Amino acid sequence: MKLEFPQRKLLAAAATLLALAGGAHAGDAFLAGVKRHTVLTNTVPDNGDQNPYAIVVSPITSGKIKAGDVLVDNFNNAANLQGMGSTIVNYHPDSKNLTLFAEIPRTLAQCPGGVGLSTAMTVLKSGWVIVGSTPSNDGTTDTKGAGCLMVLDTEGKLVDVWSGPDINDPWGNMAVIDNGDKATLFVSNAGFGVGSAKGTPPVINQATVLRLDLEIPAGKPPKIAGRTVVASGFGEQADKGVFLVGPTGLVYGKDDKLYVSDALGNRISEIWDATTRTTSAGVGRTLTHDGLLLRPLALTTTPQGHLLATNGSNGKVVEIDPANGEQLGARWIDANKAQTPPGNGDLFGIAVTPEGDGFYYVTDDNNNLVLAK
Amino acid sequence: MKRYAPPHPRRLLACAVAAGLLLTGLARAADSVDADVNPADLPEADQTIKAKPDNQWTGWWNRSTLLGDIGGLRSALGRHGVTLGLTESSEYLRNVSGGIQYGGAYQGLSTLTLGLDTQRAGWWDGGSFNVSVLDIHGKPFSADHVGSIQSASGIEADRTTRLWEAWFQQQLNGERLDLKIGQQSLDQEFMASQYGGAFIGTMFGWPAVPSADLPAGGPAYPLSGLGVRLRGKIGDSITLLGGVFAGDPTRDATQNPDSQQLNKHGTTFSTHGGTLFIGELQYGRNLPSNGALESPRPLNGIGGLPGTYKLGFWYLNHKTADTRWDANGQPMAITGADPMLHNGNYSVYAVADQTVWRPAEDSSRTLNVFTRLMGAPGDRNLVSFSANAGVTLTAPFAGRDNDTVGLAFGYVKVGNHAAGNDIDTGVANGNPLYPVRGNETQVEATYIYQLTPWWQWQADVQYVRNVGAGAVSPNDPSQTQRIPNNWVVGLKTNITF
Repeated sequence: MKLEFPQRKLLAAAATLLALAGGAHAGDAFLAGVKRHTVLTNTVPDNGDQNPYAIVVSPITSGKIKAGDVLVDNFNNAANLQGMGSTIVNYHPDSKNLTLFAEIPRTLAQCPGGVGLSTAMTVLKSGWVIVGSTPSNDGTTDTKGAGCLMVLDTEGKLVDVWSGPDINDPWGNMAVIDNGDKATLFVSNAGFGVGSAKGTPPVINQATVLRLDLEIPAGKPPKIAGRTVVASGFGEQADKGVFLVGPTGLVYGKDDKLYVSDALGNRISEIWDATTRTTSAGVGRTLTHDGLLLRPLALTTTPQGHLLATNGSNGKVVEIDPANGEQLGARWIDANKAQTPPGNGDLFGIAVTPEGDGFYYVTDDNNNLVLAK
Repeated sequence: MKRYAPPHPRRLLACAVAAGLLLTGLARAADSVDADVNPADLPEADQTIKAKPDNQWTGWWNRSTLLGDIGGLRSALGRHGVTLGLTESSEYLRNVSGGIQYGGAYQGLSTLTLGLDTQRAGWWDGGSFNVSVLDIHGKPFSADHVGSIQSASGIEADRTTRLWEAWFQQQLNGERLDLKIGQQSLDQEFMASQYGGAFIGTMFGWPAVPSADLPAGGPAYPLSGLGVRLRGKIGDSITLLGGVFAGDPTRDATQNPDSQQLNKHGTTFSTHGGTLFIGELQYGRNLPSNGALESPRPLNGIGGLPGTYKLGFWYLNHKTADTRWDANGQPMAITGADPMLHNGNYSVYAVADQTVWRPAEDSSRTLNVFTRLMGAPGDRNLVSFSANAGVTLTAPFAGRDNDTVGLAFGYVKVGNHAAGNDIDTGVANGNPLYPVRGNETQVEATYIYQLTPWWQWQADVQYVRNVGAGAVSPNDPSQTQRIPNNWVVGLKTNITF
């Protein structure tokens, strides 16, 4: 039926209103408010370690660390071999200087396979720094060890090493509930059964999320009071280009839900009753999948409670509303055209600024720490 | 100190055979394990793996450069903003059919590059210095064996060690604007085709028109020229490049038919030969830029395929000789007089690189096409038109993500006055059968195999139809026969140190 002119005007007005409503919704997105990307520093320390992975903003001032400092660890050594980086650097936003926070020995008797610092890192309010190792002897998973979690003091001195059969390549960035004298860590393990990257390596569905309940006596290092696998069965795979692919991002959200970025499933999963469950929830429920996601890696939370996920296979960060799983938008933060798609393999860690007005991220192609705000 | 007797060759051979048998047995055992056992049921070997300290040669096969950190040298330089690069390209090309002469030749190119980032050096932001040196070894192949206008190799040149580029670049407005000043090789930035770079033939790099028509081939490999280049980004998808350079990188290319000999070590720093103006407009399609926002799209949607399109020109404000007529408007081939001079020389060009297929957004497998067209006036240029086009497929086989296979062709058309000069030559020599040049077509098929991240092998086959655009064969004393159509096979290897 052909519409009369007034009807068409009415429809046009309605369409405009709908478009405006959509625009207003998009305006709520955290990423839409980000205006500039500023390269803060090159993260390569004196020993030449490369490939910055984890980013943590310190909540405390103690020893070598000031509140607001940005700690970044390195996964590669100076020869650019993965799983052999052993340094944590500290960017001081006030002085704009970069210093070496810690250089951990490559070989540790308590850490199977040695040290190759992963995305699993946190600074507790009590001052202890905990960092994961996903080590290798030649830069490939052919010589991959099970790794460990290491505890450092705020001077960067190693004070304890945690390993065991339930720890195999603590890989993903930690979700932390920190109550000072007690803390709960969630860390993903992406190394169980992962073999060589030669040929076409299979996807192994054995990755887990381990909950570690910590007790932290005053002035003493934390001790593990409980260890529970709260999720398991995520896909993991050896990879020639990026060492291995597995669940990487972890965020603790409302209603005792833990969000897990399942890189191979190209989705964000949610694990319910995360702090109280005594058994594994398997791979949990899918919050969102595909769309703007392309191998989601690190996860963090915006001030309004949205999730930010860095994509491993392109240079985008994706914003997700965890209430309904809606993907609100994405922003290119590494459009390096040397890779296909642009920025492929360049992004890893992400952390929101203490003020909540932007986020830090690292670009692995040029070893830079960048601030977007 | 205890001394050990050196191993006897026979003992070494026996050891090698034993080791080979052992490895074969192990490989078979591993194969059978792989076939019968679920890896999930295997004990966790990772728990028992001991860490080894890394050294100069750790991970030699897997690292990105052959020498790695060079015992701490790269790291030490990096702390002061200095980057060090060394590459070696070696190739052997062999003429197996047609052309001027059967046989092969080895050519090699070592490139040493030193860069300095002023910000990392503790000076100012956005500045960088670059100096590169070439060592060209082996023997040029195409002129002796093929006789084509589109030479078979992109690295063949006169044997020498020469300074190549020496420039300073400064960002002026963040990443939006930058200025580069100094000795530059224009093939690094202008007229470049991303996908054409996979091929060995030289004209897929620096095209035939400037190679044949600019003095000494222009400021491009193995030469370079003094000049200034400004680059600006307009929005997210448009980039403008413009530069002003010395017109003749050898001071006076007319003084020697082998112009590279006039600037043998790259230290002539010529400001002669007029001024070469060059400009290029680049448009990126589906090429994201930092900060660009994207809205949600339907699940599993694959983004648009990327492409780059370029339009450019060059203009040389130097007197340029006509290729047929003398100063009196008579045929030079007959009168032997000085040529007529034109005011300047110019060319326009277009380049397109487009990905046309990829199975998934994060797939390494992409099918890409490229084309490059270039024209120049036919009255003063040996080549009045050149074209390249081709197709490349990356990751052609499963597990070979960094391999590339490609097929491309190059076409050149000889300028109408140069062709007329051939007619005049025939008349002057009383040889009505003297060949008149027209056009030449080159077809190249190649496969690039990435053996390790730092070592690449490339197999190549080239066919040239109407070699030299139908030029007279130097093997024919009667000067009536053209150079036969020609086949070349080759093998090239690139090593990044």
